[in-house]
Amino acid sequence: MSKHTILKITGLDLDIGDKSILRDINLTVHAGTVHAIVGESGSGKSMTALATMRLLPNGAKPSGEIQFQGRNLLEASEPDMCVLRGDDIGMVFQEPMTALNPVKTIGEQVAEGIRWHEGASRMDANDRARRLLDRVGLPEKKFALTRYPHELSGGQRQRVVIAIACALKPKLLIADEPTTALDVVLQKQILDLLRSLVEEDGMGLILISHDLGVVADMADNITVLRNGLIQESGKAVDVLHYQSHRYTRQLAEASTHVPAWANRKAASGETPLLVLDKATKDYPGRRTGLFSKSAPFRAVDAVSFSVTAGRSVGLVGRSGCGKSTLARMILALDQPTSGAISLHGIDTATARGPQMESLRRDMQVVFQDPYGSFNPRRTVEWIISEPLHTLPDAPSRLERRERVLEALHEVGMTKDALSRYPHEFSGGQRQRLAIARAIITRPKLIVADEPVSALDVSIRAQILDLFATLNDHLKIAFLFITHDLAVARAITHEVMVMDEGKIVEHGPAGEVLRHPETAAARALVDAAPDLQRTIATRLAAAN
Amino acid sequence: MSDANLLATEHDDFAQLVRRALRNRSFLVGLCITLAIVAIALVSFVWTPYDVTKLVISDRLKAPSLDHWFGTDHFGRDIVSMIMEGARNSIAVAFVAVAIGIIIGVPVGCLAAAKQGIIDEALMRGSDIIFAFPALLSAVMITAIFGPGALNAIIAIGIFNIPVFARVARGAALSIWPREFILAARASGKTDARITLEHVLPNIANLLLVQGTIQFSLGILAEAGLSYVGLGAQPPNPSWGRMLSEAQTMIAIAPQMAIAPGVAIIVTVLGLNLLGDGLRDVLDPKLRGDR
Amino acid sequence: MLAYAARRLTAVLITLLAASLIVFAVLQIVPGDPARLMLGINATQDAVENLRQQLRLDDPLHIRYLTWLADMARGDFGNSYTYSVPVRELINERIMVSVPLALMALFLSTCVAIPVGIFTASRHGTATDTATMAVTQFGIAIPNFWFALLLVYIFAITLRWVPAGGFPGWQAGAGPAVQSLILPSIALALPQAAILSRITRSALLDTLREDYIRTARAKGLPAGRVLWHHALRNALIPVLTILGLQFAFLLAGTIIIENVFYLPGLGRLVFQAIQQLDLIVVQSVVTLLVAAVITVNFLVDLAYAWADPRLRSQKR
Repeated sequence: MSKHTILKITGLDLDIGDKSILRDINLTVHAGTVHAIVGESGSGKSMTALATMRLLPNGAKPSGEIQFQGRNLLEASEPDMCVLRGDDIGMVFQEPMTALNPVKTIGEQVAEGIRWHEGASRMDANDRARRLLDRVGLPEKKFALTRYPHELSGGQRQRVVIAIACALKPKLLIADEPTTALDVVLQKQILDLLRSLVEEDGMGLILISHDLGVVADMADNITVLRNGLIQESGKAVDVLHYQSHRYTRQLAEASTHVPAWANRKAASGETPLLVLDKATKDYPGRRTGLFSKSAPFRAVDAVSFSVTAGRSVGLVGRSGCGKSTLARMILALDQPTSGAISLHGIDTATARGPQMESLRRDMQVVFQDPYGSFNPRRTVEWIISEPLHTLPDAPSRLERRERVLEALHEVGMTKDALSRYPHEFSGGQRQRLAIARAIITRPKLIVADEPVSALDVSIRAQILDLFATLNDHLKIAFLFITHDLAVARAITHEVMVMDEGKIVEHGPAGEVLRHPETAAARALVDAAPDLQRTIATRLAAAN
Repeated sequence: MSDANLLATEHDDFAQLVRRALRNRSFLVGLCITLAIVAIALVSFVWTPYDVTKLVISDRLKAPSLDHWFGTDHFGRDIVSMIMEGARNSIAVAFVAVAIGIIIGVPVGCLAAAKQGIIDEALMRGSDIIFAFPALLSAVMITAIFGPGALNAIIAIGIFNIPVFARVARGAALSIWPREFILAARASGKTDARITLEHVLPNIANLLLVQGTIQFSLGILAEAGLSYVGLGAQPPNPSWGRMLSEAQTMIAIAPQMAIAPGVAIIVTVLGLNLLGDGLRDVLDPKLRGDR
Repeated sequence: MLAYAARRLTAVLITLLAASLIVFAVLQIVPGDPARLMLGINATQDAVENLRQQLRLDDPLHIRYLTWLADMARGDFGNSYTYSVPVRELINERIMVSVPLALMALFLSTCVAIPVGIFTASRHGTATDTATMAVTQFGIAIPNFWFALLLVYIFAITLRWVPAGGFPGWQAGAGPAVQSLILPSIALALPQAAILSRITRSALLDTLREDYIRTARAKGLPAGRVLWHHALRNALIPVLTILGLQFAFLLAGTIIIENVFYLPGLGRLVFQAIQQLDLIVVQSVVTLLVAAVITVNFLVDLAYAWADPRLRSQKR
C-alpha cells in the first residue's frame, strides 16, 4: 500500500467572529488510509473538514497551512478550489435526506460533476454515472438515472451522495458523520462501501465521527478533538487500546458505560402492568388515482407482549420497523386497528374520563430530542407540572411547586431552574427536565423513545445512570425504544427485537444480545459497532 | 419564505426583545410613522385646522401656503384637514378588516390543523373558494345590492383577510403539531383545544402579528382603491382614495391636489411595511438582514 | 402527473361550482323585488313583469340557479337590461381590453422582477442590494392608480407624448391599441414587480442555505452555476405561488386602472352596471372574473408540479 502523504494540515487556527473554533490543528492523511477525527459536539471536527474544502460559513477566518498536492489550500483562489472540489477532493455530509437537490434526478446530479470537470458529453457522463451508481450498490433495475431523490430512502440517498463525491476518483474523500442519521445495519453497509472505495481506489479518507466503535473498526489513524484542541493522535489501534490520554479513556468508558443498577438482577414480577394482545396498526393506502387506493400498510403486525411492574424492557429494531408507531399506540396517542392494549387491565382504546386520566397518570413519556420536547415559551415549572392536570383534584399552586421541586431533586437539578426557560439549559440538562416531567405523576411505566441517542457519549452515560437510579428508587417500569444495542445492554432486563412490524425475538437482554436467533436480530447485533470487540480483533490480526 | 423560522424560536426575555427592537432601524422608523399616523387620526376627532364639511368656494384650488399647507381642493376645503380625517377612515377600515380576518381566520386555521383529515380538507377548500374573490369583486357585489358605503369596504377586505389568516395559522400550526412537546401534552391527556391555546397559539403568535401588519398595509391600499372607484367611503366623509379620484378630474389645472393623498397613502403603507419587516427581525434575529 | 392534474381539475370544478353558487346567492339577497330595484320606482307594472319573466324570478331558487348555470355553460349570459344587448356581446368586446392589459402587466412585472431578484440575491449584502431593496419597499407602498395619475400627468399632460386615456379599438390596428395600453400596464406592473422581486430574492436566499447547495459546491461548481442550476428552480416554487396570487390582484387592479385611463374594459362595464343597477351584467362579470382567478390558480398548481417532482408523484 502506498503511503505517500496527500493532505497535511499544520497549525490550523480558526475563528468565527470573536470565537475561537480551532487551535493549532495538525494532521496528516496518507493515500489508501482512513484518518478518523473523533470528538463530541462543538469539538470543531466538522469545521476542520469544511476548512479543508474551503466551504466555511461567512465570517470564518482560518489561518495556518493546509497542504494538498503541493499547495496551501488556504491561499488558493476560489476558481482554483472549484477545480479541486469534486475532482480531487470529495465530501459526504451527515444528513442524506437534505443533501440532494429535490428537483433534479439522481443521474443528473451524479453526472453533473463529471461533465463540469471533464467536459464529458451528456451520454458519456450518463454512462459513467450509471456505472458509479452500480458500484455504490444502486443497480439499474431499481435505481434508474431518472429517479428523483424523494423516491429513495435515507441509506440509498447517502449512496448517491457518495457516488457524487467519488465520481472522479478523488485523492481525498471527507465523510462528515456519514452514518449518524442511519440505523446500525445501514451504517455498516455504508461504512463497508467507504472502506472498499479506499482499498480499491487508494484514496485517503477523513472520517469524522462521534462514535468510537465506528472509528475503531474503520480507522488507521485517529485524531481526538475537544473544544477545538487536539487531545491525542496516533495509530487507531494504539490510541484506542492503550487509552493513555485521559480524555480518550473518558470517551471510551462513557461509550460502553453500564450503570450501577441494584435492580438489574431482579426477577420478573408477577403482576403484568402493560399487556399487548395482537396489537395491529394499519395505515390506509395512499391514493393512486381518482378512485383507487394502494393496499393499506401494516406498520405494526399482531404484537403481543407484557411488561411486569418495575421491569425495564428494551424494544430494538431498524428504523421503519414500526417501533415508534407501537410506542404511540401504547401511549394512547394512536388507536390500534385491531387487538388490545391495556395498562392495569384498563383498555387504552376505550378508556374515558377518570379512567383515562388514571391511565395517563400511570404512563409517561420521554422523547429523543431534548430541544424539541419543550414548549420554548413556557417556564420549566410550567412544563414539568403539565402532567399534573390529570390528577383528580387540581393541586394548589404551592402543592404544584412542591411536587415540581421534588421531581427536579430526583433528577439531580436544583430549584433555581424553576423560572427559567428550556433554552437556558444544555442538552443533557434538558433530558433531565424531560425525565422530571415524566416522573412527576409517579407513573408506573415510562415509555422512552430513543432517550439518549441525541446526546454526547459522556452525557449519555449520566442519563443512563439516572434511569437506573429511578428504576431502583421509584420502581418505575421502562419501555426503552432504541436502535442502539449498547443502550439496551446497559439498562434493560429484557429485550424485544422488532422487524417489519412484528416482534421476532423476545428474551433476557444478555441472552438475546449475545446469541441472537433470528436473522433480523443477528443483523442488528452484527452491525452494531463494539469498541472492545473490534480492538481485540484488530490486535489479534496485527499479531 | 422561511417563515417557519418565526415559529417556536427560543423564548426571549422581554428586555432582550426591547434591546433588539431599539437597534433595528426599520422597526423604529416603521413604528414612529405608524404611531404618527394613528396620532393624526385621533387628533382629527377633536381638532382639524379647518372644518372639512364647510365648502368655501372663494378659497377653491389655492396653492400651498402658510394658511393651507397643501392648498385647497375644488370646493375650497383645506387638504391638510381632509388628509387628517381621511387617515381616520383608512385606519378604521384596515383595522376592522384585519380584526375580522384574525377573529374568524385564525380559529378556522387552528381547527383545520388540529383536526386534520376531512375537516381540514373542507375548511381549506372553503378558504380556496373565498380566496377567489378579490376584495374588489366582493365590494362590487355588495355595492350592487346595498349601494355604496364605507361598510362595504370593511366587509369586502375583511372577507378576503379570512382565508389569508386561516392559511397562515394552519400552515404555522401544522409545523407545531408534530413537535414533541405537543406529543408530551397529548400523552398527559390534554384536549386538542387546550393544546391549541396553551402550546400552539403562543408559538404562532409572532407569525400572526407580522401577517397582521402586512394585511393592515394591504388593507390601507385596498381601501384607497375601493374608495377611488366609489365603492368605499361616501361624501362628505373624506377618504384618501376619493380625494384622488376628485383630484383626477382636476389633474390638468391643479396637480397638487393629487400629491398630498398619494403621499399620505405611500407613507402609511411604507411605515407599516417597515414595521412588519422590523418586527420579523426583532422576533426572530436569525433572519436579520436577509429580507 | 396526469393523475395529479386530473385530481386538481376535479377540485377546480368543485371550487368553480361553489363560487358560482356564492355569486348567485349573494345577488339573490337583494332587498325587495330585484326587477323593481333594477327598473326603478317609476317603471310600469308591465315592464317589471316583463323583467321578472326574463329573470325567471317566479321559478324556485334552485331551478333558477341550475338554469343560470346551464345557460352560462352554453355561453348565454342573458341580456343586459340597460344596453338591451346580450351580455355576452358586451363582455366579448370589453374583454379584448382587460385581458391584454392584464397580460401585458404580468409580462412586464415578471420580466423586471425575476432578474432583479436574482441580481440582488447574488449580490446579497452589498450596497446595490440594499439600495434596490429600498426602492422595492417604495414600489410596494405606491397605489397603482396614484402612480397611473402621475404617469398621465407627466407623459400625457406635461410632455404630451401619449393621449391621456381612451382606447382606439383593435380594428384601427394593433399599434395604436397597444400604445394606449402601455401607460396603464406600467402603472399596474410597478407594485407587482416590487413585491415579486422581493419574493424572488428571499426565496433564492433561503434556497441557497439548503444542504444540497453545499453538496453542489462540494462538486466543484462555482457559486454562479450553483445559483442558476440548483437554487433557481427550487426558489421558483414559492415565486409561482405569489404569481398566482398576484393574478387576482392584477385583475382587481385592471378594473381600477381602466377608470384612470378611461379604457372600455370589464372594469368600466361593471361600474356602469352598478350605477345603473344592471344586476345581470354585474353577476356575469363577477362570475367570469372569479372563474379566471380559479383557473389561473389551477395553472399555477400545474406549474408547481412541473417545478417540483415530489408533487408529481405525490399520491395523496
